[in-house]
Amino acid sequence: MNMKKKTGILDILSMILLLILSFIFIFPFYWILTGAFKSQKVTVKLPPEWFPLNPTMDNFHKLMQNPALQWLWNSVFICAVTMLIVCAVSSMAGYVLAKKRFYGQATLFSIFVFAMALPKQVILVPLMKLVSFMGIHDTPWAIILPLCGWPFGVFLMKQFSENIPTELLEAAKIDGSGEIRTFGSIVMPIVKPGFGALAIFTFINTWNDYFMQLVMLNSRAKLTISLGVATLQQEFSTNYGVIMAGAAMAAVPIVAVFLIFQNYFTQGITMGAVKG
Amino acid sequence: MKKILSLGLTAALLVTTLAGCGGGEQSSSETTAASAGTSAAAESNDGAGAPASSGDTVEITWWAFPTFAQDADQPAGTYEAEIVAAFETKNPDIKVKLETIDFTSGPEKITAAIEAGTVCDVLFDAPGRIISYAQNGKLVKLDDMFTDEYIKDVDNEALLNSCKSDDGSYYMYPISTAAFCMAVSRQALEAADAMDCINTEGDRTWTTAQFEEMLKKLSDAGFNGATVYCSGQGGDQGIRAFVTNLYDSQVTNDEVTEYTLNDEGGIKALTKIKEWVDAGYMLNGSAYNGGEDVDQFVAGNTAFTTLWSPGLASQRAETLKENEIEAIALPFPSEDGTPELEYLVNGFCVFDNGDAARAEASKKFIDFLCNDEEWGPKNVVRTSVFPVRQTMGDLYSGDAEMQFYANLTKYYSPYYNTIKGFAEMRTYWFPMLQAVLNGDSTPEDAVNDFVSKANQSIANAQ
Amino acid sequence: MKHSKINKIRMRETLVSYAFLAPALFFFCIFVLLPMIMGVVTSFFRYNMKGMTFIGLDNYINMFKDEVWQKSLVNTLILVVGSVPITVLFALFVAAMTYEKNPFTRSFFRCVFFLPVVTGTVAVTVVWKWIYDPLNGILNWLLKSMNIIEKNIMWTGDKKFALWAILIILITTSVGQPVILYIASLGNVPKDYVEAAQVDGANDFQVFWQIKWPSLLPTTLYIVVITTINSFQCFSLIQLLTSGGPNYRTTTIMYYLYENAFKRFEYGYANAMGVVLALIIGLISFVQFKALGSDVEY
Repeated sequence: MNMKKKTGILDILSMILLLILSFIFIFPFYWILTGAFKSQKVTVKLPPEWFPLNPTMDNFHKLMQNPALQWLWNSVFICAVTMLIVCAVSSMAGYVLAKKRFYGQATLFSIFVFAMALPKQVILVPLMKLVSFMGIHDTPWAIILPLCGWPFGVFLMKQFSENIPTELLEAAKIDGSGEIRTFGSIVMPIVKPGFGALAIFTFINTWNDYFMQLVMLNSRAKLTISLGVATLQQEFSTNYGVIMAGAAMAAVPIVAVFLIFQNYFTQGITMGAVKG
Repeated sequence: MKKILSLGLTAALLVTTLAGCGGGEQSSSETTAASAGTSAAAESNDGAGAPASSGDTVEITWWAFPTFAQDADQPAGTYEAEIVAAFETKNPDIKVKLETIDFTSGPEKITAAIEAGTVCDVLFDAPGRIISYAQNGKLVKLDDMFTDEYIKDVDNEALLNSCKSDDGSYYMYPISTAAFCMAVSRQALEAADAMDCINTEGDRTWTTAQFEEMLKKLSDAGFNGATVYCSGQGGDQGIRAFVTNLYDSQVTNDEVTEYTLNDEGGIKALTKIKEWVDAGYMLNGSAYNGGEDVDQFVAGNTAFTTLWSPGLASQRAETLKENEIEAIALPFPSEDGTPELEYLVNGFCVFDNGDAARAEASKKFIDFLCNDEEWGPKNVVRTSVFPVRQTMGDLYSGDAEMQFYANLTKYYSPYYNTIKGFAEMRTYWFPMLQAVLNGDSTPEDAVNDFVSKANQSIANAQ
Repeated sequence: MKHSKINKIRMRETLVSYAFLAPALFFFCIFVLLPMIMGVVTSFFRYNMKGMTFIGLDNYINMFKDEVWQKSLVNTLILVVGSVPITVLFALFVAAMTYEKNPFTRSFFRCVFFLPVVTGTVAVTVVWKWIYDPLNGILNWLLKSMNIIEKNIMWTGDKKFALWAILIILITTSVGQPVILYIASLGNVPKDYVEAAQVDGANDFQVFWQIKWPSLLPTTLYIVVITTINSFQCFSLIQLLTSGGPNYRTTTIMYYLYENAFKRFEYGYANAMGVVLALIIGLISFVQFKALGSDVEY
């Protein structure tokens, strides 16, 4: 009895700590959202105005003088295409890496893992040479194609594919099912949640991958929303409000995507790493 | 068996990629022919619909930092687009593709693009970066644009030298110039009863002793001094000029062949600054970059700033008015009251993309930007500073404040931004200040260390 | 005879496997492996804007003598050593507090801790920059109004605080995924085991340590590896907040690499740093697999 009561107090204290931590985590996002509706003077005021008392749409008007909607569309396009290619390509590769025994397997997998450890900045200059050689510089493909080669998706899908029961695959083989049919009818249904996780993961990462976009895209009309917001930071260096409006515009769609699909995401991501 | 096969497969993989790699290296090697091929390929796939350089029309790309002021609330590039339209009407055989870049990420972008062969034709920037591109052989010589008549018109050797690389050729075509200076808030000074410390007459020159007195009065009245900003990279020339002027030191010798900041005056200035920061007269700016120091000043949080120029004055005019602050621009204080000022030069360069037609078109465009009867002066005014060509005359007639800035030209110091290894030296400057301000090393040790590293950077760049 | 038959099957499997791998290998070889090899090769050259000269191992030798590189290695290690255990404990704490709550509360906290990841580093850093601002930042204002400090503290510019200020943001942007993973895997611990142990008189601590922790090991391993890689590659926070200052106190290897490549145009030297960084990360991940993975059952 005594012990139960003790943990009760501990529980309350822990709960308070949890709420304080939650507050710290929510705060930046909250501040971006509310800051978007504050005037320039209010954003830097001390003590801070915790909620916009005189909300203004000014920041969005200023933002809209830039091709912000075009940027938003560019981001969506780049992320969606990258996501589709990465999912298709990685699920095939991940499946054979996990479930087949073939020559060069271990070596290949080690190369993939080493590539993940290598910082992207090291391959940036050679990559740019390549991209300009192919003539896709300053187009969405300059972002999409290199990201499709990044082995993280393969790594993740290999983890997911470990869950496929080997007996099922063998049974299919005895039934005379071809490799492609086995992949479509047995493998895909099992790794589907992982597929969802990879899709959302790729989408979020591509959305926020600012460095790659910075060096690959030049024309103002071709920028992505994250990159556009970063350039606004320069132009409106003194106007926090506009920066916040831009940041909100970049963050809200992606947060929405996460909220809507979060169950797929958590289910999938868990399956890969936890292997329950 | 298994091992051999897997080894064989990996080897095959490596060989194919290495072969591909070799091809890639070749195509991007330093020969201009290859890089021309690369950029031509990039061009033709651009999807912009414009014919590549082989046709009758030439397409050139212009990268512009936000140096031209925009009309209120207009996004970056609006004014530049007007210039392009006017130029294309006059030169229907040249198409200009405008791309705006910003000071935060722009330099990185140029670096990467130069390596990849996707860099623009025309760049609007300043000598610091432009001459380092020239020293690395990336630019087209502009000697034919510097006619005798033009040189006579400019009539300023320091300024002309800033456009030259060490091979004696011109690589930057200047359009406008102004001195960097500092600014104080009239409201703060009046409240602190410190107006008598500054000089508002003539060239407004003043001494280090007067400056120190102002610091004390401001501090007594509860005002914050400027931050000794030393984070990021922008605006480093402002704080450098502040340091050198205090006790008559120089960043480099007169021949611009060696760094000399570790002379008696330089050490004394840094020691003094450290004292002021410790006493609370000025703020340790290890967390601020130049732009943020200006932000604090225009917001009224600090009573003065060591980074100011006519361009900044016009950019921040609105905020100053909102916060009811009047900024008084001043040259940097010096021991004898005669300042030696650093200055900005805005100008254009042409990247060598291996295509003579594009280079010619680019020069034509630059000539239009700087010398067109209608657009030349208009463009100068958009930079908020002064024309390099004297025949353009007084573009700000009747503006007393601009007259003051114009008069500072006579205090120009030797221009060292064209020194070899300048880019590397800049990366040592702020860490040196941070070391002094945070007490990591004595001012003397820090500046000696800085000078030896900076001198090494000259050698490294040979 | 039998041996060669196995080989035949294996050959067939190999062909099928490479057919499945082909698209992935196509993208990987062209856009990752090829630039990667070029990066490794150029690390043996004095490679800058002027051109390339072969200098053998000089870049590597200079790097180990480079004082700034040594400092940045130390800073990077501090960030890794600081962030990995804190991230694991933090995530474990949050997960333990929430995994038994109702689905709504659970998904609420999951979202809360994942929010900084989704919002994006650039946007989050803008806010943190304002929080840490010495003159009009909210942190100094809060501490002053609570009479904890008298003078403004320069969080990102003071040598005592700068690296810790970075570490805090790094942690907030990296606990999202671990929290989700721990909530899920704690939910997977069989309830009967826990109850059986409690009936046997085990206290909470024993239940956790002997029943729950072993089944969390695979998850922990994954989290440790991912967090290690992320912390080693910490870059944009530094670039946006401190530019490596004060006096190289927050320069990480990634930031120094970037400075060499993009501010000093020493691409070969920068690439050598990248190679060494990758080797360090690879080595540490390997050790982690060995140390934590020995108990992990797949």
